[in-house]
Amino acid sequence: MRLELQNIRKSFGEKEVLKGISFSAESGRAFGLLGRNGAGKTTTIRILMNVFGADGGKILIDGKPIDYQKLRMGYLPEERGLYPKKKIIDQLLYFAELNGMKRQEAVRAIDYWLEKLEMTEYRNKRLDTLSKGNQQKIQLVTALAHNPDIVILDEPFSGLDPVNAMLLKDVVKEEISRGKIVLFSSHQMNYIEEFCNSIAILNGGAAAICGEIHEIKHNYVRDKLVVRSEHAAEIQKELGSCCTKKDTGELFVQLSSPAEKQQMMRRLTESYDIDEIKVFEPSLNDIFVEYAGDQN
Amino acid sequence: MKQFGTILKFELMSYLKNKIFVGITVFLAAAIAVVMFFPNIMTAVGDKDSDAEESASTEGLMLLSMENLKNPEVIEESFSAAFADYEVEVTEEDEEAVKEKVVSGMAECAFVIDSPTSYTYYVNNLSLYDANTGVADEVLKSMYGMNAMIEGGMSLEAAGEVLAVQISHETESLGKDQMQNFFYTYIMIFALYMVILLYGQMVATNVATEKSSRAMELLITSARPVSMMFGKVVASCLAGFIQLLVVFGSSILFYNINRSHWEGNMIVASVFDMPPDLLVYMLIFFVLGFFIYAFMFGAIGSTASKLEDINTSVMPVTLLFVAGFIVVMMSMSNGNVDSLLMRVCSYVPFLSPMAMFTRIAMSTVPFYEIAISIGVLIGSVVAIGVISAKIYRVGVLLYGTTPKIGSILKAMKKA
Repeated sequence: MRLELQNIRKSFGEKEVLKGISFSAESGRAFGLLGRNGAGKTTTIRILMNVFGADGGKILIDGKPIDYQKLRMGYLPEERGLYPKKKIIDQLLYFAELNGMKRQEAVRAIDYWLEKLEMTEYRNKRLDTLSKGNQQKIQLVTALAHNPDIVILDEPFSGLDPVNAMLLKDVVKEEISRGKIVLFSSHQMNYIEEFCNSIAILNGGAAAICGEIHEIKHNYVRDKLVVRSEHAAEIQKELGSCCTKKDTGELFVQLSSPAEKQQMMRRLTESYDIDEIKVFEPSLNDIFVEYAGDQN
Repeated sequence: MKQFGTILKFELMSYLKNKIFVGITVFLAAAIAVVMFFPNIMTAVGDKDSDAEESASTEGLMLLSMENLKNPEVIEESFSAAFADYEVEVTEEDEEAVKEKVVSGMAECAFVIDSPTSYTYYVNNLSLYDANTGVADEVLKSMYGMNAMIEGGMSLEAAGEVLAVQISHETESLGKDQMQNFFYTYIMIFALYMVILLYGQMVATNVATEKSSRAMELLITSARPVSMMFGKVVASCLAGFIQLLVVFGSSILFYNINRSHWEGNMIVASVFDMPPDLLVYMLIFFVLGFFIYAFMFGAIGSTASKLEDINTSVMPVTLLFVAGFIVVMMSMSNGNVDSLLMRVCSYVPFLSPMAMFTRIAMSTVPFYEIAISIGVLIGSVVAIGVISAKIYRVGVLLYGTTPKIGSILKAMKKA
């Protein structure tokens, strides 16, 4: 199954919130929807979930307009919240039935997920008697119990201790391996790099960059060198303003063009005792800062 | 439709599992049982103690002081007949001694009669319901008339006959008898007022709670706003209806068990002799009135981000309803339920559930007027329902300060 968002636009009053967002995601793969606060991630998710319509653009499943009657979606919102005073099983059944499950089917699925997330003992307890992390696990059940085709997880790891984060990682990997489309929204780039094959970075309502992570990294302009040497001060003195020293002690050399990298590497290795020299490979965090940094 | 059913079931079960809801319902039924069984209990207790009570009971002492008056024995006889509840005793003591006896409690009250047309009434604490002076006025007036007639040459018997003449009359109400139906109309209007206001506000609180607890984030992605709105409103309506059913049902049941004890009480008997067609009208106006207000309360609840905002946000709607209630209550108390104001109110959708129901109960309203009123109300319920669902759809997504009406309308156009 392939999900495509084509040129999605949305305005609230005078404010244009989405200025033509396009991306695609496929079954069995995770897609990272990134962006700073207010970049348009939640609006995109709400349009995708049919909470409100877009002003323009298309949402397609395998090339055909999305049919919300046939497609099941699971959502873990960033703003967590269920009914604090109600019994956990009652509210889980409520949401499973709202998402189209029959009662017996829902009971089986919920019991499966409660056991998987080590929450069975809380089945008949009130939600407000649980810790924040456990409440989050209950919320995750509402997103997964009805066996959705598309799973949307907004900051799924926030508030989880390392053990629970590990548990959730396994669940997400399992969902991906079961052929689900997993849409991931998070500011924790390590998780995005761990799970997602593709990403879109939204900035000011538009996709600043979109594609496979390894391609984005590969296509990153290779005009920076990272140098580690005992002679850092001398190198810095020789290269002047195009060389900056990082907190780690490494030197960061900005080249005038990517073609200059071989020549610069030779020059430095011939002149100084160099421990390490390499072309700078950006982390996802670096890419995020670069593309989402200046919000329009 | 399936979503509506799921939401309705969930919301209704929330009410039925709510300890406060169950507690209040049981308490009301128990209170009604106590009231209805009260005469029975009193009779049972009374039978045991009746002998003791009879010997112990003493009538209040009424002193009569009437120096220099003619026929004191006739006056005493007349007062004894008129004040059967008192032990009437003539005293020769002076006014000060009489007052002292009243103050000390030896006598309950005293009449110091100066002349055939003037007297002073002494009582320790004057009750709000003390009618003794009125009775004494009548007695003295009759005696004065009789003396005048005798002095004018009439025989004692003839004068007695003139004064004892009885006027007979009959009243036949060709429409409704307000004396009879005032109490049940009052009870029903009050029940309508309480249930609509209480459960309507519960809808607003319910929606605002879902929004403030952020359960709404998940709800709006799982269910259609129209299903959510209608599910909540119908569930609240059913919860209110169940409570009314328990209260009125237990009242009727306990009344019928104790019917023999209550038949003598005109007010209670009139309440339970309510015509069945009025119950049907009650049901119609309750459901429609509830819906129109609950939709508005739901829409208002969706625009509030915090529970604390609810009280101020619902105030205009509450005031509208209270204003309607006051108009109806005032018209009922002055007996003019067909005034121009009430006629107008019976077609205004927000006021007609109470106004038209009162007119139907206490007056004779042509059927076409009732049909128009119900028709307008149904149309308004549908319109308000649709508008409220649109506000709800927009309102639940708006966080921060409570939005202005203008911005909600703009967002509704876009939605």
